[in-house]
Amino acid sequence: MTDYEKYRQICREARGTGILLVLLILFWLAAGFGAYAVWGPAPVAFGLPVWAIGGTIGVWLFAIIGVWVLLHTTFRDMSLDESGEDASAKGGEHDD
Amino acid sequence: MTEPLTTGGNPAALLPLLMFMAVMLGIGFFVQKAGSSGRASDFVSQYFIGRRSLGGFVLAMTTVATYSSVSSFVGGPGMAWQIGFGWIYMAVVQVTAIFLVLGIFGERVALLARRIDAVTVVDIIRARFQSDGLAALAAFIIVLFFCGTMTAQFVGGAKLFATVTGYSYEMGLLLFGLVVVIYTSVGGFRAVALTDTCCAILMMVGIVLLLYYVLQAGGGYDALMAGLAADHPEMFEPLSAGHMPIGLYLTQWILVGICTIALPQSVVRGISYKDTPSLHQAMLIGTVVVGFMNIGINFTGIMAHGVLTGDLASYGGVDYIIPRTIVAVMPPALVGLAIIGPLAASISTISGLLIVASSAVVKDVYLHHQQQRGREVTARHLRILSMAVTAVIGVAVFIIALTPPSLIWIINMFAFGGLETAFFWTLLLGLFWKRANRLGAILSMAGGTVAYCATQALGFKVMGLHQITIGITVSLVFFLVGAYIGRPTSKQVLSLFFPPRD
Repeated sequence: MTDYEKYRQICREARGTGILLVLLILFWLAAGFGAYAVWGPAPVAFGLPVWAIGGTIGVWLFAIIGVWVLLHTTFRDMSLDESGEDASAKGGEHDD
Repeated sequence: MTEPLTTGGNPAALLPLLMFMAVMLGIGFFVQKAGSSGRASDFVSQYFIGRRSLGGFVLAMTTVATYSSVSSFVGGPGMAWQIGFGWIYMAVVQVTAIFLVLGIFGERVALLARRIDAVTVVDIIRARFQSDGLAALAAFIIVLFFCGTMTAQFVGGAKLFATVTGYSYEMGLLLFGLVVVIYTSVGGFRAVALTDTCCAILMMVGIVLLLYYVLQAGGGYDALMAGLAADHPEMFEPLSAGHMPIGLYLTQWILVGICTIALPQSVVRGISYKDTPSLHQAMLIGTVVVGFMNIGINFTGIMAHGVLTGDLASYGGVDYIIPRTIVAVMPPALVGLAIIGPLAASISTISGLLIVASSAVVKDVYLHHQQQRGREVTARHLRILSMAVTAVIGVAVFIIALTPPSLIWIINMFAFGGLETAFFWTLLLGLFWKRANRLGAILSMAGGTVAYCATQALGFKVMGLHQITIGITVSLVFFLVGAYIGRPTSKQVLSLFFPPRD
């Protein structure tokens, strides 16, 4: 991967992370305030109302699944050192 | 000063704490011994970023532990005790804290740091905007706000120690305050990362332990929930009968959710890991752990309502709910174990901030100044200086904490918002927008921080929202103004940060 390709890939990953954030906020709204508006405070499981489950554990699970999907669809492994031709041009001075 | 909940001191509580502190110190000295001597540049890399060698698990744990402070374990669950499930609904926004910072900045700063031989976030800012003045301002803001946050951690931890064990506040400060300063000074970043990992694990163990005893003392989960539903139905509403305004949710999304990506103590972890699989692993593990901690400890706070059934004033305020719960439900022999969790949160945050504050002084100011003058600094000189600066900052904060300011928790959140205001746009736009330039960054960092501090001092708010909303908005406006009226960044610098196609 060239340095340019790495930069493009990093931008894609950052955009993907931002999209996950937006989706998480929407889920948080729907699972919490949305669920409360529809089902109210009546307990449905473990003595808890729908919004208290969806808006807490639900958001957490959504985030975990979202990160897993993000890592498997958008993120790619890459060398953190500079690409070969650039590194040799600059003398390849690195810590690692 | 803090009023103890037990009298005469509980020796059984001290033993596990002393063992814990001994392990932390042992890690610090072990890391120092294992570290190689070598050149000055090797020492800087070793001491301030652990020679870029962190694996996924340690990276996740150190990022979570530094982010999770003692207030997450004391003040937060105390509020959950008062508010109910609305508080967890608000706190859960923090599940974004790890994947956002590592996902957006993790690979970007890792690549750049290797390319420009950067060791700190300020190194990257200096190289991107070609401004020593901006770098000095960034280093100053880091040291200033970090000192505020560290003081809050010292005071919070020592108060907790005093109220739960019955020993004095000063003894608590001496015990864990000096330990954290010593192991951070001698071991540097790698010691911080390893001790953070131990701390994060102990935080989770502490949560499970406390929840178990709370449920037992309250007659079991079903009985506790039935009691809550009957006596406090508002705790099952997201707005908690007006105790949780919508504005607070919005503020928290900004303050402890989205803007946390710009906290220098989190971003610097992007420079410290060894490869991208480690980063990806850390994003997942970090999200699991930070969610578990936030939901777990605040849920425990709510459940504690079945144990502490009086009104809040009778317990001395929200900060005393968890200490009183520990004393009320834990066997005396296990109190020491229960208190390790919150204290671990405290010392892991202090150590994480201390090493970054030290790097701001040694690397970003002193070493840069010497290099500019063409003076060579030996590895030995740098080692002594780095340890000394770390120790001096730590001891200075320790001394401030001996006579704690009264509004310590407000200072903590004030510092959090100040750092985010200063660094959010400078880092985000600086690393992803070619048009971002020196003038915009300087105006943004200086203007945003001044606006934030001024509105905090005056108590001025817009629509009742926390001043972070003002700071971050002013910071953005200044950045854009500077970007459009200031001189563009040179092509040479841009090609370094934004590699051309060919």
